[in-house]
Amino acid sequence: MDLSLTKDQQSFREEVRAFLAASLTPELRRGAELTSGVFAEPDIAREWQAILEEQGWLVYHWPDHAGGPGWTPIQRWIFEKECAEAGAPVLPGMGLKLVGPVLYTFGTQAQQDYYLPRLRSAEHFWAQGFSEPGAGSDLASLRTRAVREGDHYIVSGHKIWTTQAQYANRLFALVRTDAEVKPQKGISFLLIDMAQPGVTVKPILSASGDHELNEVFLDEVRVPVSDRVGDEGQGWSIAKFLLENERGGSSFAPAILADLARLHTSAGPLTGELADRALRLRLEAEALEMTELRTLIEIEHGAAPDPRSLTTKLLASEIRQGLEALAVDAFGLAGLQLPGERPFYGGDMPAPVVSPAAQVAAARYLNARAWSIFGGTSEIQLTLIAKAALGL
Amino acid sequence: MNLALSDEQAMVRDMVRRFLADRYDATTMAKGPMSSDDWRALGELGLFALLMPEQAGGLGGGAVEVMIISQELGRALAITPLAEAILLCGRALAADQAVGGWTDRLMQGDALLAFARGGEVVDGRLSGLADIVRDGVNADAFVVETEVGALLLVDVQDSGIRRIPVRLVDGSMAANVRFDAALAQPLTAPASLWAEAHTLAGLSIIAELVGAMSTLLDLTVDYIKQRHQFGKPIASFQVVQHRCARMYTWLEQSRSLLLKAAMVGEKERTRAVTTARAYIGDTALKLAEEAVQLHGGMGVTNELAVGRGLRRVLLLSRLHGGGIAARSALAA
Repeated sequence: MDLSLTKDQQSFREEVRAFLAASLTPELRRGAELTSGVFAEPDIAREWQAILEEQGWLVYHWPDHAGGPGWTPIQRWIFEKECAEAGAPVLPGMGLKLVGPVLYTFGTQAQQDYYLPRLRSAEHFWAQGFSEPGAGSDLASLRTRAVREGDHYIVSGHKIWTTQAQYANRLFALVRTDAEVKPQKGISFLLIDMAQPGVTVKPILSASGDHELNEVFLDEVRVPVSDRVGDEGQGWSIAKFLLENERGGSSFAPAILADLARLHTSAGPLTGELADRALRLRLEAEALEMTELRTLIEIEHGAAPDPRSLTTKLLASEIRQGLEALAVDAFGLAGLQLPGERPFYGGDMPAPVVSPAAQVAAARYLNARAWSIFGGTSEIQLTLIAKAALGL
Repeated sequence: MNLALSDEQAMVRDMVRRFLADRYDATTMAKGPMSSDDWRALGELGLFALLMPEQAGGLGGGAVEVMIISQELGRALAITPLAEAILLCGRALAADQAVGGWTDRLMQGDALLAFARGGEVVDGRLSGLADIVRDGVNADAFVVETEVGALLLVDVQDSGIRRIPVRLVDGSMAANVRFDAALAQPLTAPASLWAEAHTLAGLSIIAELVGAMSTLLDLTVDYIKQRHQFGKPIASFQVVQHRCARMYTWLEQSRSLLLKAAMVGEKERTRAVTTARAYIGDTALKLAEEAVQLHGGMGVTNELAVGRGLRRVLLLSRLHGGGIAARSALAA
C-alpha cells in the first residue's frame, strides 16, 4: 500500500503547475471564480479551450488512439487537481466529455474524422438532447420521433433542460426510431445540425437569473442517416455508456476542496457554527477525494471500476450544495444580493456589496440545487447504488 | 499509488479472518469480551509480536498491519483490548529492557496490560484515582500516565491497588482503580514513540469501527432480503433500499479516510487519523442506528448481533472523546 506519487508523477505535476502558472491569466481565473453556473460561459471557455488544445491537453481524458495524450488515470487526476487548485475555468462537458467519447467508441471512421477535430477546435459547440418534458428520470419513455425517409431521418420532438443550447450549433439526441418494440430497443442516437430550419431554441431562466437551460423544439428536422451513431436501436446502450462515462472518469472532490479553501479566504475567518459546517464539509470532501482516488488507483492497476464509484455523484452533489449554502450564510446579508446582469465578471455588473465572491454567492447557491437533479437525480443514484453495490 | 496488500499482509489478514470466523458468527458476535484462551491463541499466532516495535522484540508492524488486523476484529465484532494493551501499553514498555518480562508475556497473550491516567508519584510510589480504566478488572499490570505526564508500570500484585469493576456498554469490564502508594516503575518511552502509540491506537479504533460498519451493513442487507411484510421482502421497498444505499456511502467514505490514515507518510499520520476519527466517530454510530432501525423490533433486542453491535460501536466511537474531540482538535 502506498499513497505517494512516483518521481515521474511528481515531475508531471510540476509540469502541469508550470503550465498553469504561465497560461492561466488573471482574467481567466477571475472569470472562473465568478462563474455562477456549472460551466464557464463561451467567452472564457473558448479562450481556455484554445490554450489547452495548443498545449495538447484539451482532450486529456481521451485515450491516445482517439487523439488524447495517453495519460494514466492518476495523471488525469493530478491534472484535474492542479486545475482546480489554480482556479481554471470548467469547460462545458457536452462535447469533450459526453459526445466525444461516444464518437471515438461507437462512431464510424468518417464520423470521427469529421466531428472530433471540429469538437476540439470549438468550431462545433455541442448540446445534449436527452431529456424531454415527459422523459426525465424515466428517460426511455422519450417521444421525439425520427422517421426514415431515404437517406434522411425526419425528426420531430421537444427536448428540454438543454444546457447552453443557445450557444450550440450541434445537438446529439436520443430519438425514437421504432415505436413498436420495447421502449429501450426503439431508441437511436443522432447528431443533429442545429443551423437548419425546424430547430428552435427557447431559453429557460433559472431561479438564479442565469440563462443556462433551454428548450429545443425539433420540427421535421432533416438528419442524414450517416449522422446516426451506432445501429438503429442502439441508442439506449450508447446513452448508458455516455451516462456511465459522463465525466470521462473526472473527479469531483478537487474542485470542491479548492472552493472550500477559497471560501475560507473570501469569507473567513469562519467561526462558531459556520466553522463547524465548513469542517464537516471538508471531512466529507476529503473522504470523497479518497473514494474517487481509490477507484482511479484500481483502474490504473487494471481493475474494473468498483460499484463504489457510483456513490461519488450523489456525495459530490450534497457536499457542493452544502458548500454553496455555507457561502451564503458566511456572507450574511451580502450573500443575498442577486443582480440581474450577467456575467458576474462582466463590465455591466453593479459594484458588489462586500466583495465579488459575496455578490455571486446567492446565484451559485440557487444553481447548485440542480446538482442533485441533473445527470440522474440523487434518488436515482441511490437506487443504482442499492442495485449494483448491495444486490437489492 | 497502490492499494494492494503485500503477500505478507494478505496472509496476516486471511489468518486473522479465519481465526475469527471459526469463533464468531451472528449468534456469538459481540456477546462479550474475547476469552483469555482466544486472546492467548492470537498471541501464539504471532499477531501481537507483529504489532510491537523491533526494539521490544517485535516485528515492527506499522499502520497498515494495525489497520488490517483491527478491521478484522471489528468485522467479527470481537471485543478485545488490542488498542490499549498492545498498541498503547506495548509501546510504553518498548524502550525498557528491565520490563522485558512483561513485554514477552504481553506479546504471547499471557499477560494483559491496561492503560490508566491519573495519580501522582511521591518517592517512587503512585497514589491517586483512575476512573474507567478499560480492561482494568482483569489486567495483570497497569501502564499509568500521571497527571504530570510521567509513564509508569504498576504490577497489580502490589498491595496498594484497589479495583472496583465497572461494566461498560459493550459488556467489557473496566475498573475504577485507586492507587495507594503503589510501587511504580518509571518507563522511559521516548515522546516520539509514545505519540506514535496514541496515533496507532486511534487508527486501530477507527479500523475496528469500519470493520464493524461493514458487518452491520451486511447483516442488514441479509435481513431485509429475508424479512417479508405486505407479502414481499422489505428489500423490495425503495425506501428501504435507499436507506441501505446511504449506509453503503457512509461505509465507503469511512473506509476511504481509514485507508488514507493508514497510508499517508508518518509525519501526516496523526492528523489523518484525527480527520478520520472526526468523520467515522459520528458516521459509524449513525450506520449502527440505521442497522437497528432496518431490523425493526428485533434490532432493539439483545438477541441479534446488530443490537449488540450498536453497543460495541457506541463504545468505540466515543473513546478518546470520539468525533467531537477530533473535530475540536482539527478546528484548533
